[in-house]
Amino acid sequence: MPTEVIMPKVDMDMAKGKIMSWHIAEGDRVSKGDPLFDIETDKAAMEVEAPADGILHHTAPEGMDIPIGTPCAWLYAEGEEVGEQPAPFAGQAGAAPKPEPVEADVPNDTKSVEAELELVDAIAGEATGKVRATPRARSLASGAGLNIVDLIGTGPRGRVQELDVENEIALRDTRPAPLAAPVTFKAETGALAVTRSKGGTGTPIMMIHGFASDATSWAPMEAHLKHRPLIRIDLPGHGKSPKLRIDSFAELVREVRRAFDDLNLDAAHLVGHSLGGAVSIALADTRAKRLSSLTLIAPAGLGPDINGDALSGMCRATRAESLGPWLRSLVANEDIVTDSYVRLAMAGREDTNLRAAQSCLADSLFPDGVQAFDLRAALERIDTPTRIIWGKQDAIIPWKHALRAPGKMALHLFDGVGHMPQIECSAELGRILSSSL
Amino acid sequence: MNMHSKTDLRELSYAEAIREAMDIAMARDERVILMGEDIGVYGGAFGVTGDLVEKYGTDRVMDTPISELGGAGVAVGAAMTGLRPIFEFQFSDFATLGMEQIVNQAAKIRYMLGGAVSVPVVMRFPSGSGTGAAAQHSQSLEAWTAHVPGLKVVQPSTPEDAKGLLLAALEDPDPVMIYEHKILYKMKGHVPDGYYTTPIGKAAVVREGKDLTIVATSIMVHKALDAAETMAAEGIDAEVIDLRTIRPMDRDTVLASVRKTGRLICIYEAVKTLGVGAEVSAMVAESDAFDYLDAPIIRLGGAECPIPYNPELEKAVVPQVPDILEAARNLAKGRV
Repeated sequence: MPTEVIMPKVDMDMAKGKIMSWHIAEGDRVSKGDPLFDIETDKAAMEVEAPADGILHHTAPEGMDIPIGTPCAWLYAEGEEVGEQPAPFAGQAGAAPKPEPVEADVPNDTKSVEAELELVDAIAGEATGKVRATPRARSLASGAGLNIVDLIGTGPRGRVQELDVENEIALRDTRPAPLAAPVTFKAETGALAVTRSKGGTGTPIMMIHGFASDATSWAPMEAHLKHRPLIRIDLPGHGKSPKLRIDSFAELVREVRRAFDDLNLDAAHLVGHSLGGAVSIALADTRAKRLSSLTLIAPAGLGPDINGDALSGMCRATRAESLGPWLRSLVANEDIVTDSYVRLAMAGREDTNLRAAQSCLADSLFPDGVQAFDLRAALERIDTPTRIIWGKQDAIIPWKHALRAPGKMALHLFDGVGHMPQIECSAELGRILSSSL
Repeated sequence: MNMHSKTDLRELSYAEAIREAMDIAMARDERVILMGEDIGVYGGAFGVTGDLVEKYGTDRVMDTPISELGGAGVAVGAAMTGLRPIFEFQFSDFATLGMEQIVNQAAKIRYMLGGAVSVPVVMRFPSGSGTGAAAQHSQSLEAWTAHVPGLKVVQPSTPEDAKGLLLAALEDPDPVMIYEHKILYKMKGHVPDGYYTTPIGKAAVVREGKDLTIVATSIMVHKALDAAETMAAEGIDAEVIDLRTIRPMDRDTVLASVRKTGRLICIYEAVKTLGVGAEVSAMVAESDAFDYLDAPIIRLGGAECPIPYNPELEKAVVPQVPDILEAARNLAKGRV
């Protein structure tokens, strides 16, 4: 049986990937892990590795769109007879219709009891956020200054055991000391990057992303807002914006306000997420007449608590292995943050100057892991129709900060959603934003 | 000839060791008397009392009627009034008939009389399976009495401890229950000469090891040691603890071992549910040794059924060496 080479899902809102080029020619041998082909998604190009050893056959033509999770080539074992292509490429003319996704509650006889247990564990773990670890592993890890969450368990059902902690300690001792977050960076000048969608009518929706994110993070929600003109601002030191030196929240707001003023809008619906939410509150406080509505998604500025470990962890991460756990802490269902997605996100953070700029920004705004600015008074003053949206499993900023907002504001709380409602329940947010705009 | 080393190597059976203990005690203290069904001329159902009636007479080696409640009651009364009776239940299963005297009288009297009177009675319970005696003559009911404050409960696994614990029991001012395993009666082992006691409430580390701890009672100690030898050849170094006393339990010895190995198997012949292993497990889970556990605790105990008559089934319902090996391999290799 040849091994299928599957089009991977490297991006949260990716439905299919285009094969840009094959690194290996038809009929050539590859080893597991070798670069096999490049794909392009809406956001980035990416290299895909061979899933197994073998000889490559039946490759999908370059330029072809392949739905994720379906084969784009097959790998044959040495000496294995190469016959007809085992199946046509999905979406290809003459292809058998792809079966509808099977609902989860349909019994699957082939599933082993163990797999069931792992599923149960995964669901239980997801619900509780707890790690399966022995008491001994926990006490050893805590004595060694390791976070049990970061350890990979090799025991039954992924349980972290003594051996796993010992291995991690041994590994840490041989690994070079992690680079301290750079505290200085090469400051740049210039205007913030503003991008606009094509099409749409009516009052534009302007969006400000959160810390360590960028304008592309709105893509899943934008898919549900196509009828409106959309404007996205990249914060300083984020996305395509210059890495400005920002030493205070007021400076940050000043830069965003300048970008907003340059747009010369008569009216806009303002949407801000997390740090972008705090900036939006400040903007609404001074530009009330030009804002038709304000939507705050898990906004900063309403209380002191914030997950400082996650912020500094993301700034510090120099590789996918260290970035992944923090990215997963952003969402309630970790499954949506795939390894491929993490690699893609890391690729976008490879610029050390960008990480340094964000580290400095975090240090100014969230010293010692505390929100140093309080926007509750500003929020009280705002008469613009305002709604607050929060996920109840938010592990970055506690959703209960929402209860500090004045009663005149609407509140939408989502169960089973973390810090990224615009990604985790993008359709719901699209509906909320569309319904009353 | 070195007389001393000859003495050291002296071997007796478990039954002989108990008889020797009773003989020594009766010779040095005339308050010690024996009571029980068929312990006189017949020498006891398992021959443990043997010919002691010939040596001490029927005043001190008394056959009691077939009434466990009556016999046990007389023993409790005799203890209260100054004697040191050793009462033998013919089978530990029949002690169910004497429970009123054990639980409501012997265990309570010291407390209810404000400490003015104690009950220094010793009761012996031949117990356990393996003799083909089926459901009513094969049980391991030690957890019944171990649940009662006021009683001390021991389970010797060797001839040496059978003698030492019986003599210690006679020194104790309170009621002591001795559960003897019927299969062990014929087992031979070194028994020191003369008078000595084995401390009640003190477990014995009978094999030192570093990979896992086996806490066993009675006959299971021997099965655990057998299994430990096989494991050693496979590179698993098991520590085996003979609990010896189940009330009061030797917490320090068990916890120290679990802190060292991080893995625990409890093995006992009695029905697994609510047995001695449940108490050992809970004791560890409630202690600081919990932080040293690197795997779940395993209990191996009797099946949830009466002991069957069929010899194959009789073996199948209690832990055997292969069961211990399988559990230990899984535990040591991180598969549980």
